[in-house]
Amino acid sequence: MALVYEPKIVGFLCNWCSYAGADLAGTSRITYPANLRITRVPCSGRVDPLFVVKAFQLGVDGVLIAGCHPGDCHYTEGNYHTRRRFALLHPFLEYLGIEKERFRLEWVSASEGKRFSELVSDFTENLKRLGTRET
Amino acid sequence: MKVITKGNLLSWLRQLSQKYTVIAPVTSAEVTLYEPVSNSEIEKINLNFPNTDLSPKNWFFPPSETLFTIVKNEIPKIIPASAGHEAVLFGLHPCDAKGIALIDKAFLAEPADVFYKEKRDKTTLVGLACSTPCLECFCTSVNGGPADPTHLDILLTETTEERYIMYIVTERGGQLLTDAPMQEAEVTSPVPPILNIVPTEGITEIMPRVFNDSYWDRVADRCIHCNICAYVCPCCYCFDIRDYVSKEKIERVRSWESCQSPGFSRIAGGYDPRSTKGTRLRQRWYHKLLYFPERFGDVKCTGCGRCVRSCPVNIDIREIITDVQRMRA
Amino acid sequence: MINEIRNKVKELLETKRVECVIGYERATDNLTARPVFIYEPSQVDRLIFDETCVHNLSKYLLNRKDKPTGIVTKPCDSRGINLLLNESQLHRENLFIIGVVCSGVKKVRFNRIEDSLPTKCQYCPQHTPPLYDFLIGEPVTETSPRNYADVIKIEEMTSKERKMFWSGHFDRCIRCYGCRQACVGCYCYECFVDELDPLWVGIRIAPDENWVWNIGRAFHLSARCIACNECERVCPVNIPLMLINRKLEKDTLRLFEFEPGVNAEVIPPFATFKKEENLGVSE
Repeated sequence: MALVYEPKIVGFLCNWCSYAGADLAGTSRITYPANLRITRVPCSGRVDPLFVVKAFQLGVDGVLIAGCHPGDCHYTEGNYHTRRRFALLHPFLEYLGIEKERFRLEWVSASEGKRFSELVSDFTENLKRLGTRET
Repeated sequence: MKVITKGNLLSWLRQLSQKYTVIAPVTSAEVTLYEPVSNSEIEKINLNFPNTDLSPKNWFFPPSETLFTIVKNEIPKIIPASAGHEAVLFGLHPCDAKGIALIDKAFLAEPADVFYKEKRDKTTLVGLACSTPCLECFCTSVNGGPADPTHLDILLTETTEERYIMYIVTERGGQLLTDAPMQEAEVTSPVPPILNIVPTEGITEIMPRVFNDSYWDRVADRCIHCNICAYVCPCCYCFDIRDYVSKEKIERVRSWESCQSPGFSRIAGGYDPRSTKGTRLRQRWYHKLLYFPERFGDVKCTGCGRCVRSCPVNIDIREIITDVQRMRA
Repeated sequence: MINEIRNKVKELLETKRVECVIGYERATDNLTARPVFIYEPSQVDRLIFDETCVHNLSKYLLNRKDKPTGIVTKPCDSRGINLLLNESQLHRENLFIIGVVCSGVKKVRFNRIEDSLPTKCQYCPQHTPPLYDFLIGEPVTETSPRNYADVIKIEEMTSKERKMFWSGHFDRCIRCYGCRQACVGCYCYECFVDELDPLWVGIRIAPDENWVWNIGRAFHLSARCIACNECERVCPVNIPLMLINRKLEKDTLRLFEFEPGVNAEVIPPFATFKKEENLGVSE
């Protein structure tokens, strides 16, 4: 049986919105690909750009940062900072060899379980199509 | 004397590269470094360089190497670093060969550093005499010379008409040359170039007298502690060892370090005996001009000039030696 | 020009307005320059100023935070001073800045002066220092138009070409940290590479670790790099570091209309936020 390429995705989900949204997807028994490995952070603003760089160095195929919608951050302003950092880090990583499809920032609220599962499926499909990091 | 043409030299190297790892100077991105050169890449070897940007000590003492790995099985298994391959280090100048000999004094003293020793025992040194030294070179002031065959196994000297005189220094060198396409010919050895003199006479005796002078602080004012002088030096050898632990294994890694780094001498508890710029800078010169010669008999400098060229703020060993001589007078 | 500088420095030291002036003197090759610290008025004749004065002297001010110090600066260097003031690393009242209007320096390595402009001068946005107490030379108000041709060339490569381009360069890195030591923006007491837990970058020198080091450092300088070119100049293995910093500079300008080092009072983009802004990020 040939080994099918299964992209490894690392996700940083904020505790209050996106992690709860992912949890809702789980309790609603929605099936979505198991490629995503989730780390819970208090806020998407906790995500240091070095987390993303280090994840790519260690060989993951994709990185997802998920936070509350702008305006809804549990800590009021954390996600505004995330947005600014991502806006600069995303084209920068692309410039340094990480294709733009591999790194995503999404806003997922606690009630968007279905949307979260669709998002992860979409991301996984994209990465499968893109291929491994060496290609 | 034995002579070889340039064409034959390259084909001899090509032949050697099938049995040995050949490391030779290669230029790319405007930087000339010693790199392993495969059979098909022999043309890339640069034979016309004043000196390389990094020294050949990299081959024996790499910037970073794994000393051993422990695999965390039921019964832990220790995997030593892989045994070296027979190698030929080609194209080094006499100053760099002296640099390796100076590191030998520290690394091969009992108990010898096994990682260094293994590569050293398996490598033959084929040197190239200097025909156009750099403006910063001063090997003749530190017991060396542009055509000095000591510490090499074979010395090649370029003559006119792209021919090289092959001087066999050791038996090991002679063995490498069996089947080499050489000819017997009478050629005039080119006159070795004359280099600038640096007043190194008696420097080791003078250094203790100027230890407390504020001169070192003044020079250190402009030092940015970038480590570049130690990294390009053919005879500097400080290193750091760390263990990296993961789920499956532990790797012990050794990497270059430099006494110029802030925090190099910081010890547990936070105390740092060399916490100021002046004390760190002073340590470099005292090691090179006093402590090493006291211990091993030779000033720890080969006069290659690399530190002078690459220091971003022009801290110049020649100027320091001249100033120290003046200070004691 | 040089006499004006020397006279001013002499005056500053004689009136004890400052204890030390940082400037440039001739290097041992008699061609290039090197930094000099003048403590005595009698030493001012050591000072020089010409197009071999490529060094950025502003980082030395961090070693003399509480001591009154003078400094001779080019426009790029005084952007460095603005950066340090912005980040509360220096006391303005301890500084006396002798700004020099600059028409460019040469690409210099010890005793080799190439007759070409370094990257920073090719794309220099201002010839008059943005911050000074005393100006040498006639102020020049027009600024050169922004040009990122070198960055765009890399942006237009395919992903594969880019990967090969960067790995070709990062493979040579020996992690001397010369770039960090030379950079005015890199002054953290504990750099992220010194951190043991979490371990971002260890002492191992390998292509993937070199990648993390160079990207991490560049990103820590986003919206802070003042394009003085020192990192690229000191690199012993010729890695084109400015190509990385300029990409961030280009994007910072595009996204936040922000230029680091021009103003010591402004709040930099990563220290603040806007509730509504269109940064091309998913909504």
